[in-house]
Amino acid sequence: MTLQPPSAGSSPVPAVPLATLTTMRRGKGTGSNRYFAKPSGYLSVAVLVIFAFTGIFGPMLVERPSGLGGDILQSPSMAHIFGTDDLGQDVFAQVVWGTRVSLIVGVVASIIAIVIGTTLGLIGAYVKKLDPIVTTLTDVMLSLPLLPLMILVTALAGPSVTTLTIVIGVLSWAEVARLIRSNGMVVSAMPYIDGARVLGAGPGRIIATEIFPAVVPLIVVSVLLTAARAVISEAGLSFLGMGDPSSWSWGRILLNAQRSGVLATAWWQTLFPSLAILLLVLAATIAGIRYNDSRDPRTKGL
Amino acid sequence: MLAYISKKVLRAVLTVWIAVTITFFLLRLLPADPTLLVVEGDMTEAMQASLREQYGLDKPLLVQYVLYLGELLTGNLGTSFRQLAPVSEVIMDRLPWTLLLAGSAFVITILIGIPLGVYAAVGRGKVIDKVVQVLGVTSNALFVPSVAILFLVVGGSVLGWFPIGGAIDPDTRGLAAYASLFHHLALPLLSLVLVQLGPYALTLRTNMLEVLGEDYIKSARSRGLTPRRTIWRHALRNAMLPALTLMGLQLGALIGGAVLTETIFAYPGVGRLIYEAVQQLDYPVLQGAFVMLAITVVLANLLTDMIALVLNPRIRA
Repeated sequence: MTLQPPSAGSSPVPAVPLATLTTMRRGKGTGSNRYFAKPSGYLSVAVLVIFAFTGIFGPMLVERPSGLGGDILQSPSMAHIFGTDDLGQDVFAQVVWGTRVSLIVGVVASIIAIVIGTTLGLIGAYVKKLDPIVTTLTDVMLSLPLLPLMILVTALAGPSVTTLTIVIGVLSWAEVARLIRSNGMVVSAMPYIDGARVLGAGPGRIIATEIFPAVVPLIVVSVLLTAARAVISEAGLSFLGMGDPSSWSWGRILLNAQRSGVLATAWWQTLFPSLAILLLVLAATIAGIRYNDSRDPRTKGL
Repeated sequence: MLAYISKKVLRAVLTVWIAVTITFFLLRLLPADPTLLVVEGDMTEAMQASLREQYGLDKPLLVQYVLYLGELLTGNLGTSFRQLAPVSEVIMDRLPWTLLLAGSAFVITILIGIPLGVYAAVGRGKVIDKVVQVLGVTSNALFVPSVAILFLVVGGSVLGWFPIGGAIDPDTRGLAAYASLFHHLALPLLSLVLVQLGPYALTLRTNMLEVLGEDYIKSARSRGLTPRRTIWRHALRNAMLPALTLMGLQLGALIGGAVLTETIFAYPGVGRLIYEAVQQLDYPVLQGAFVMLAITVVLANLLTDMIALVLNPRIRA
């Protein structure tokens, strides 16, 4: 690995934090054994599986929180293990219902961002004429303050889970494009690409069948890390009141606590959704890092 | 060098132009009709038509766009629906507080993040490295409002050491005013630094690891330079350069974090303004806030590019 020349222009320095955690590696080694070689490997997968089950089956088992309850602002007890809020609603039920929204937004927004980012990144890596456009567009997207932009778009489009998903997905592709482009350029320079060109393959074919497969492992990592960012974005937007008013979200639970002025007293109303966000994001990030490391023994991370 | 500067300035202008163009087309193309947003309740057809004329909405889209750009160039961002004051004034009142919060968070994050990254890279595989990595990944996964609420509850309510809202005690003068300023700034600042620290430390660690493997580091050591001088003068300088680009790109996230932090601590910056504007559906303020924050980030980015220019003789050549 060589030091990137700190050139003036848009050297293919990958973005934070995606690229701090990822490196490109050619070669063999499936690595599923290596993936689970460290506790962080199976722990992160276990946490993700638990969240997935909670999101899918939780709402079938736990009643949807609504209306007014008799027990207002109860601290955690056997009846309400995460306590109750100022309307007497069960915080555990809110967290369970919020899990579904967080997962849907995280996964779908991440897929949208990956599709856009990978397409643009691959085009930039192989089609020299279009590269300046892709690079400029990526740099501009990376340097805009995205949260205020997401707030503006969501406010105008009307808050809903669909809006949030699309807005987060469409505005989060830049890091992916940067990563895929810089690594796609390495692949583009390899002799076998010249070989394919000599054999008469067009740019579309070369990108789809020669370069794309080489960056698939990076895409897997990107899906996990982008989903982690998307969960945080969703929570942030919901916390600012940009969430779907008819569905539960972890950010909305925090917003309710802030609005009803119980931040300092009802610690359970903020602690449990916060822990849920932290655990899910941490698990997705670590799973991504482990996947990356299991392919590349040189980077010994967590 | 001139080519470098003009290229950076051009990119800055381009970014701002794209930002304002996005906001223009968002406002025109999304379902919400601006005339329906100004006043709730009933409006006659004639009133709506006159409002459209007043906002120039009866003209072709392209003409509206040119008019809009012209207004922006003269600093006119429209009128706030709720405060009935020019948006530019409303935002300029708040912007200094956000600059203070985000700016000091940026500086402190770098001052802590650089040594952390350097020590982790130098002690690769040792305890310090593991600790920095775990802290870095955790910090990267933190949700700003969660951290801010924790500090608010512990530092503000339980211990009672810090004020839980506002930016300054209006009754203080002179030195006491500065003390009050820092007293109010402490908790929001701490929240923001904690969340930003991870990416910075991890980036610098990665860059340092690469630089430390270079031949000129070995040659510096073999010439008899102390490890300390080699690391802090020779290696860090080169590791800083790619890190600087990334720090510039991280500024957008920093502003996002400031928006969320201000909301929790009722800090009177642009972030808190956005939160209030969301509650009141004050679209001109939301639009203006995004444009102003985009300009802020672009200018700060230019500044980091100029620092890179000072640090890197290769660009100056």
